Amino acid sequence: MKLRLLLLISCLYLSACGAGRLVRFPYDVGGRSLNSPFAEQKPRVSGRYVVFTSDRRGSQDIFLYDMTNRALVDLPGLNALDMIASTPSVTEDGRFIIFHGVREGRSGIYLYDRDTRQLRNLTENIKAEVRNPTISADGFRIAFESSAKGQWDIVLINRNGQVLSR
Amino acid sequence: MPTAPAELDSRYADEQPALSGDGRFLAFVSNRDGMRSLLLYDLQQKRFIPLPRLNRGDAIAESPSLSYSARYIVYVASDRARPEIELYDRATQQIAVLTSGYRGWVRNPSISPDGRYIAFETGIRGQWDIEVLDRGTNIELDLLNRPRSR
Repeated sequence: MKLRLLLLISCLYLSACGAGRLVRFPYDVGGRSLNSPFAEQKPRVSGRYVVFTSDRRGSQDIFLYDMTNRALVDLPGLNALDMIASTPSVTEDGRFIIFHGVREGRSGIYLYDRDTRQLRNLTENIKAEVRNPTISADGFRIAFESSAKGQWDIVLINRNGQVLSR
Repeated sequence: MPTAPAELDSRYADEQPALSGDGRFLAFVSNRDGMRSLLLYDLQQKRFIPLPRLNRGDAIAESPSLSYSARYIVYVASDRARPEIELYDRATQQIAVLTSGYRGWVRNPSISPDGRYIAFETGIRGQWDIEVLDRGTNIELDLLNRPRSR
């Protein structure tokens, strides 16, 4: 109730300045919605989907929320027990999710395909720290930061992990 | 404003990449030219796109996100008592502050490819949660040059 009131108030404030209105998605203490009693971070919105991280299951995992159906979408095989996942990004059709994963102390840029349920490390051959990946809404380009040259630089690849010229 | 294509591979740190929905434009935060700026690069024409009024001398613009053809750019601007989420329209070169009346701390904005929705983190409940702002259907959606369906 208190939350709904808060959201209503912020709604009024926002519509007063003409920015738009806040969408009131259900809040679920059981963790079956967009927001939960735990932290939700790094939202990326694309098409009808919002992809984000949350520690609602005791470890930091990636979740996909469907704004049209107002429900979470299953991501079988994405969240592994031995991986910390962060900074996800999703294509407009909701098929591909790219994210930063740390497994056994090594960071990688991972691609998850919802159609095949396959998870792939696209940066296995890069001998450097990588972070902050993002995928274009059409799914053809992926950009991330690499420390290969002793500073953060931006690298572009395709879904096969091939480096694209800039 | 950097000009040559080689400059994308700068001696300075480039961070926080964001791609337009069609993959043609790359926005990022850079420390080149002695200033922390938000830059927009056209990967097709291999040149930087000017963003008049976006980078101000008294503010830091960070965490960019782009719509489908990079018409709209959302980012966090830190020039006030607290950071605000702003929307830059390349067609009009106008900036709109989206969170001026919002009471919670905000960060990490993201705009949908059509430009209608903006998701961001809010600290209004004492932890980070997600808020989604709907700009409605009266705005000009970024639907130019889109393939009809995929």
